[in-house]
Amino acid sequence: MIGLAMDCVLALGIVFLAVQTVRSRSLFQAMLMFIVFGLLMSLSWARLHAPDLALAEAAIGAGITGALLLVTWRRLQAEGHDPVESEQSAPSMWLTLPTAGAASLLVVIIGWVALQLPAVPGTAGELAWQRLEEVGVSNPVTGVLLGFRAYDTLLEMAVLLAAWLGARAVATEFRPGALPGPAHAEVPLVGALLSLVVPISILVAVYLLQAGGSAPGGAFQGGAVLAAGGVLLCLTGRLEAAADTSGLERLGLILGLSVFSLVGLLVMAGGGPMLALPGAWAIYLVETALLVSIALTLVLLFAAAPGLRRAS
Amino acid sequence: MTNEALIGLIFLPLLGACATVLPGRFATYLGILSGLAPLPLLLVAVTLSVAQNGPGFLELGGWAAPLGIRLFVDPLAVLMLWMVAIIGGLAAIHAWCDFPPASPSGQRFWPLWLLLTSAMNALFLSADLFNLYVCLELITLTAIPLIALTGSKTAVRAAMRYLLLALLASLLYLLGVALLYNATGTLDLYLMRDALAAAPPAAVVATLALISLGLLLKGAVFPLHVWLPKAHASAPGPVSAVLSALVVKTAIYLLYRVWLWSVPATVAAEQALTLLAILGAGALLYGGVLALLQQRLKLVIAYSTVAQLGYLLLILPMASSGAWPVAWQGGTYQLLSHGLAKAAMFLAAANILHALGSDRLSDLQRLDQRQPLSLFALAVAGVSIMGLPPSGGFLAKWLLLDAAFRSGQWWLLAVLVAGSLLAAAYVFRILAASLRRDDPTEADPVADTKAIPNVQTACAVLLALLALAAGFAAAPMIEFIGPGAPGAWSRP
Repeated sequence: MIGLAMDCVLALGIVFLAVQTVRSRSLFQAMLMFIVFGLLMSLSWARLHAPDLALAEAAIGAGITGALLLVTWRRLQAEGHDPVESEQSAPSMWLTLPTAGAASLLVVIIGWVALQLPAVPGTAGELAWQRLEEVGVSNPVTGVLLGFRAYDTLLEMAVLLAAWLGARAVATEFRPGALPGPAHAEVPLVGALLSLVVPISILVAVYLLQAGGSAPGGAFQGGAVLAAGGVLLCLTGRLEAAADTSGLERLGLILGLSVFSLVGLLVMAGGGPMLALPGAWAIYLVETALLVSIALTLVLLFAAAPGLRRAS
Repeated sequence: MTNEALIGLIFLPLLGACATVLPGRFATYLGILSGLAPLPLLLVAVTLSVAQNGPGFLELGGWAAPLGIRLFVDPLAVLMLWMVAIIGGLAAIHAWCDFPPASPSGQRFWPLWLLLTSAMNALFLSADLFNLYVCLELITLTAIPLIALTGSKTAVRAAMRYLLLALLASLLYLLGVALLYNATGTLDLYLMRDALAAAPPAAVVATLALISLGLLLKGAVFPLHVWLPKAHASAPGPVSAVLSALVVKTAIYLLYRVWLWSVPATVAAEQALTLLAILGAGALLYGGVLALLQQRLKLVIAYSTVAQLGYLLLILPMASSGAWPVAWQGGTYQLLSHGLAKAAMFLAAANILHALGSDRLSDLQRLDQRQPLSLFALAVAGVSIMGLPPSGGFLAKWLLLDAAFRSGQWWLLAVLVAGSLLAAAYVFRILAASLRRDDPTEADPVADTKAIPNVQTACAVLLALLALAAGFAAAPMIEFIGPGAPGAWSRP
């Protein structure tokens, strides 16, 4: 009963926040609504017994996306556009009503169709449960991501690399030096806080990576947590934008994709099937490389700079 | 060896992209050369194997479908892979001059280009609907920054519009795939036909509608083409060539795979195919008329892409008729010849834009003296686009006419003729504008034409000649392509 009530509150809250995000005239308010929307989404994944998704949604959907949105807003402000004051003009009713109608129709159709689907026997998911042991990990999500469908994960790393390359290709102008951040970065407590939070973010990231074999976690969640530590260092002025990407950063960006590909190719060269990771050690090796690349890519995207350096 | 060659087609450009990101000139050159140069060689091995042993699967990680992901190679996939190797290769040589690998612009260009090549090869080989989603995303996310690379305001705006619509398309496709998995329990393209026949009809309709809508939007099929003309026209030359010749075709290719390989052949499915063909007819006519109204060369060529994509959908309603093998050969030949001709036109247009500083049709006068070889490439490729003999485009359109005639689809016949006439009109409009010489008083335009590297001219001319040669060398290629989709659709 309490569960049902909670689900109803969640569902209504999600719809309300979605509508508010779109309707809000102030850009800043819309961003906040969107971040809270991500948190509620994360809760609803947890309610649906998908803790891995809940973690990923909280870390990436609400955390990193929220940070990206807010830093963009701050940059807009710094460049003289004041998005809080200049309220956007409302889009015309002729555009909003049909769009809302089409979107609602889509939701109704998908819900209606999904409810009448019979259970199909012998799905790929059932097979994955049955043969999970063969991969060498006990967390089914990690088993799928690095075992049965490792190729998808590999191409997703290429997508992440493409995202950074794309951002770098489009952003031709940038100013090296301090990143726009809060004005109180030099308050003494900030240093004390950082000396606590940054090591913890590293610890949590490594824990999530290690736990991914048997419990919710893995490279993506760990990478997002590690990136949060990096974002904090940028926000408090400990890291600042550099004019170019250093060699080490370049190596870190491609580490995940290239280690993953090379391990897969080596297995094939040894006579095995392409991308069949030989045991848990290979999975942890690949995941560690993925974690480094994911965290570095996210921090560089947040900083919107070619590279980072220690603040002078 | 075939398996290794297939893996190489995807992973060489992928690792090449990684190498170009690394610091140092040597890594960049190594990445580009090792990522692109071996592709034709690998393809020879794959082609020979497919010709001898027929289509084949490769299970990645050793996991059989539906648990794991498979690659699938058949004559259609081989044809598309060759297009990536040849058109992508020549466009890359063209791009080498504009984006020298060691320069800052080259540093931005080449990793994206290599990732795009890898993603297209991966898409043409993948047999898994979710994996195809990842491939589509990778293609979109590499193509869009390549459009915006020049940093001009129009290019960035066009790229942004493309991004937003492409994300919407991805979302629709993904929703369809999620529903499909729940209805069938598999994501494998070639395992789902029987499962779809047993699934509730409402679920099948919703699934296919969502997937098709997403693909039509990505493939810029009329009336969802709004993002294409500006995006293709404002991109750098080699990027426009690859976008029009290959990238939009990835979505059309997937439409073929889904509708002809994976959907049960029912009456309702036939009606859906007719609907798709009507969209194709709309594209052919609307794109043709709009191409005729444009004032800039690259926009004419971009709208011509909207029109020419229509042909690819027109063959669909013939899937159940006896004329299908002919229609299929016509469709695949159109894929090939349009790809070659359109890439040639975009490269030639890029040369002209670079030499003249403008691609407005009114500024093209006396082009035969200022850029004779680029004009030659434009004209020869135009012959193929119009469908005049002896080009590849002629053969494609002739086969399509033949198939429409044999299957008694008279409306198709009318649309095909109208499409070719419109194409002739807009190509001749370009040629007429380039041969004009009506300003004898004005300063000699020949004098202030910039020189173009010979390599760039050669790339455009070579592609145009290949489009022409496709008309001569058709027999072995048509034999290799074969009757197309497996038996379920074709009834004797």
